[in-house]
Amino acid sequence: MAVSAAVGPGRAGSTGKARRARWREGPAGYVFLSPFLLGFMGITAIPMLYSLYLSFTNYELLGQTYDWVGLRNYRDLFTNDPQFWHAVQVTVLFAFVAVPLKLAAALGVAMLLNRERRGTGVLRGLFYLPSLIGGSVAVAIIWRAMFDRTGAFNSLLAVFGVEGKPWVNDPDWALETLMLLAIWQFGAPMVIFLAGLKQVPTELYEAAAVDGAGPWRRFRNITLPMLSPVIFFNLVLETINGFQGFTSAFVLSDGTGGPTDSTLMYSLRLYDQAFTEYKMAYASAMAWVFLLAIGLLTVLLFSTGRLWVHYADEEGA
Amino acid sequence: MAGQALSSPPAPAEAGPPPRRTVREQAIAHARRRRRRAAAVRSVVRLVVILAILAVVLYPALWMVGTSFKAPDEVNSNRGLIPEQFWPANYPDGWTALPSVTFGRFFVNSAVIALATVVANCFSCLVAAYAFARLRFPLRGMWFAIMIATLLLPSHVLLVPQYVLFNYFGWINTPLPLIVPKLLATEAFFIFLMVQFMRGIPRELDEAAKIDGCSAYGIFWHVILPLSRPALVTTAIFSFIWTWNDFLTQLVYLSGVENYTIPVGLRMFQDSGGENQIGPMFAMAVLSLLPVFLFFVAFQRLLVQGINTTGLKG
Amino acid sequence: MSPGTPHADPARPAHRHRTRYLALLTAAAVALPLGLTACGGDDDKQSADPNRKIELQVFWWGGPARAENTQKVLDLYTQKHPNVTFKIEQQPNAGYFDKLATRAAGGNAPDIFQLDDGSLAEYAKRNVTLDLTKYVKNNKIDTKDIPKGLIDYGIVDGKNAGIAAAQNTPGMIYDKTVAQQYGLEEPKVGWSWEQMIAWGEQLSQKSGGQVQGIMDPSADYKALWLWLRQQDKELYTPDGKVAVSTEDVTRWFELWVDARKRKATPTADLIHTANTGDVSKQLVVTKQAGASFLWSNQLAELQKSTKNTLGVSAYPGDPKGQFARASLYWAGSRTTKEPDTVADVINFIVNDPDAAKIQGVERGLPSNLKNREIVAPTLSAPEKATVALESELNSKFGKAPPVPPKGHVKLRSELITAAETVQYGKATPQQAAEDFLAKAKAAVSG
Repeated sequence: MAVSAAVGPGRAGSTGKARRARWREGPAGYVFLSPFLLGFMGITAIPMLYSLYLSFTNYELLGQTYDWVGLRNYRDLFTNDPQFWHAVQVTVLFAFVAVPLKLAAALGVAMLLNRERRGTGVLRGLFYLPSLIGGSVAVAIIWRAMFDRTGAFNSLLAVFGVEGKPWVNDPDWALETLMLLAIWQFGAPMVIFLAGLKQVPTELYEAAAVDGAGPWRRFRNITLPMLSPVIFFNLVLETINGFQGFTSAFVLSDGTGGPTDSTLMYSLRLYDQAFTEYKMAYASAMAWVFLLAIGLLTVLLFSTGRLWVHYADEEGA
Repeated sequence: MAGQALSSPPAPAEAGPPPRRTVREQAIAHARRRRRRAAAVRSVVRLVVILAILAVVLYPALWMVGTSFKAPDEVNSNRGLIPEQFWPANYPDGWTALPSVTFGRFFVNSAVIALATVVANCFSCLVAAYAFARLRFPLRGMWFAIMIATLLLPSHVLLVPQYVLFNYFGWINTPLPLIVPKLLATEAFFIFLMVQFMRGIPRELDEAAKIDGCSAYGIFWHVILPLSRPALVTTAIFSFIWTWNDFLTQLVYLSGVENYTIPVGLRMFQDSGGENQIGPMFAMAVLSLLPVFLFFVAFQRLLVQGINTTGLKG
Repeated sequence: MSPGTPHADPARPAHRHRTRYLALLTAAAVALPLGLTACGGDDDKQSADPNRKIELQVFWWGGPARAENTQKVLDLYTQKHPNVTFKIEQQPNAGYFDKLATRAAGGNAPDIFQLDDGSLAEYAKRNVTLDLTKYVKNNKIDTKDIPKGLIDYGIVDGKNAGIAAAQNTPGMIYDKTVAQQYGLEEPKVGWSWEQMIAWGEQLSQKSGGQVQGIMDPSADYKALWLWLRQQDKELYTPDGKVAVSTEDVTRWFELWVDARKRKATPTADLIHTANTGDVSKQLVVTKQAGASFLWSNQLAELQKSTKNTLGVSAYPGDPKGQFARASLYWAGSRTTKEPDTVADVINFIVNDPDAAKIQGVERGLPSNLKNREIVAPTLSAPEKATVALESELNSKFGKAPPVPPKGHVKLRSELITAAETVQYGKATPQQAAEDFLAKAKAAVSG
């Protein structure tokens, strides 16, 4: 395995020759990077820095004046705000359950649909349909109709003699219905897995089949390693998305955070602080806490990625 | 390389007693037949499983279509899949719900913005990803980290500062705030996606091109770009769909009903002060799924033509 | 993550961009607060030509019917004043305040915009709205035919911040068909809460649980507010603090715990679906309850969603608790370049008889009493019922409270959360009341 695979884009050597190579590629690098740099500097950096600055003030949305208050927002967030912790708890629970299940479903169905037959395209489209319905307001109505006391899900349970609860309207289960909504929309990572599966050279499978490797061994020894950059990508991004989830929760709970705050995702709470309570500085503090926390998580993912992600463009091993 | 670890040396064609070879050939033929039968069974099982999962996954979507044909007084009370009274009037009602514009106008607006976004994203994220994935330049690690960091900040706190910025540029009341950022690679998701895909392209191809005298630009044009098709297709599909469904930024930066897009239009059916509009809303939501669905089915075919790496080895 | 290559980079194009944009950042950081405190152009700098071309941006939320009405009204104004044209911005309620706040914070507020009593204080106290007091005083905005309570309900900090676009009152909408079906009499104005709960109980029994009584309004701030006013108490103090006590809220929750025990109300999950006030989810329309608590002018809309006949009555309790509430306001922007014209347009929308005929009762009962008579013949049956109710209540109204202070919207949502914890049995009324008050006080004083 490529132990030397760096977590970021490959590591450059430090010999003299390589260093000169770096310099030679430098200008080209910046040329290719220029749209990103322009975009970052021009459009993202200033608002980001401004929100960081605001987080140290008591700025209210539409406020006339505001003062520097140092770390007070951050302190209040951690010591004086039980709903903050509640939102953290809800979000962590959501992410830890929904993300792995979603990825598993995505990979499973992608592998099922990897063959090119007539109608495979339409089949893929049909599995992708839930993702298309996405953050539409219609999906909230649908989901509530499926999962309330008289919904289709309970009708299904009744077939097995199980009495259903009012899932989406029950504070004990509303979050689970939200998770189900997220998992249902596995079409997005599924598409990415499909694209990744297409990149696996078929000769490898043929060679392994000739050697008598069964489907499980082929999966473990060819598919997984070759797919690992894509698995890694999906893992990182779905995790980030999972923690950031806003639209589904907002639309499903009418912006309230579900029956008695049971679906109060972090981003919902943040939006509420910013636009309903006008506490923009406080919300900015929440945003930067989020960035740091998820940043750490991402660094963790990248570091552990070193151990299992195999890049085709790595030298060695 | 990974390939070497997996293949074992082929059976040596040695000079041995003839009976063994015949037996071996028989065994191979036998195994092949068994494998083909097993493969056929597996195909059928596979199909059944797919359809079963599909049925469960699609039920909500089917419910959506069914509800779009329910009459206003049935929409709330009838929970089933099939309407008691078939009510196709929801479709023309939804289409002409607003006095000044038809829903079709929203379709056009959404399409224009979505297509512009697709082109912009594909271009800008591809070049940025190439820099990150293949080129070595000073501070690359730092910029990569910054790029990932932009994914992490919840966007609601950026809404007002960015509005101020765009107002300063004079872009308010135009679609520019929606498109220009995409031209400038602000969607880190796609940059990262393409980086990961590019890292799956073996460096030997780059080196081969370098030997032929290509510069970094040449490698990009001749090697990376053609092989990035799956990544580009994925980016196109996702860009299109996200833009198609994006509500808040489109609401804030577009003014005038004739410029509104589908997500804003769909929420118009929710407002009190009019007919109960769930039926028409579902009708329009179903219609708005069609372009995205077709876009997806059309483009996913391009995912098929992945990298053909035969001829790579050696 | 990859540490990257550690050394100085040859070209530093980023540096120049960074300094320039740092300047912009500082400028923006300074400009934001300053821009909004910039000398308010209250003094008339318009000694300019009275017939110059003026274009005003008008922003409101609502459905297609409202869009059509308001457009026509504005066109009518342009007919009468050809030099004034309008750039119309209207949209659904979802995201309206996000957009308005963003525009205002970004220095691009519309000249005229619509507000409600949850947002008037927020925008007025943050100095976003135009001070209309002098126009009211010199009758540029004519208020002689508008009930004083209605005008007063638009005053924040002693200044007229918004003019009532229309009036509505909380209304209990009940199912006449179901009442007849099970032999119950129709609720009347003045029935007590106890009578109404008993009605619900009977309905539930007689229908064998099919119609589960009446909607539980313990999460409804209007119900709590009226209930308090019926006891000569208030939700807010005149200076904008929370006036209700923990004991009162506890009693309120206990009232409905009792009602639920008697099966006079539906189960908690059904109550939850209707708590957000979305018209399509109201239980009286889904036939799961015999009555829902909403606004009196929503009768017409609800009627369209069910085949049963609906009627409207006042919330239970002594009608003296009711007051003339402005359903919506028209406000101007403090930074508008044409305050006089803005005031004139607002006056036109609210007072002009032709404009009133166009608008009907879509936003509520016309603020102008004379216009109510003009509009009366054009109404549909449910609309007539609404107007009849309002007329009956008009004479019985109590004194209008001050417009709710900042944080009102948060208080409303905290009430929903607190009431639901009791409805789901997650907390006792006492605990929920304490929790609610703590959060409400924090929201309103903050």
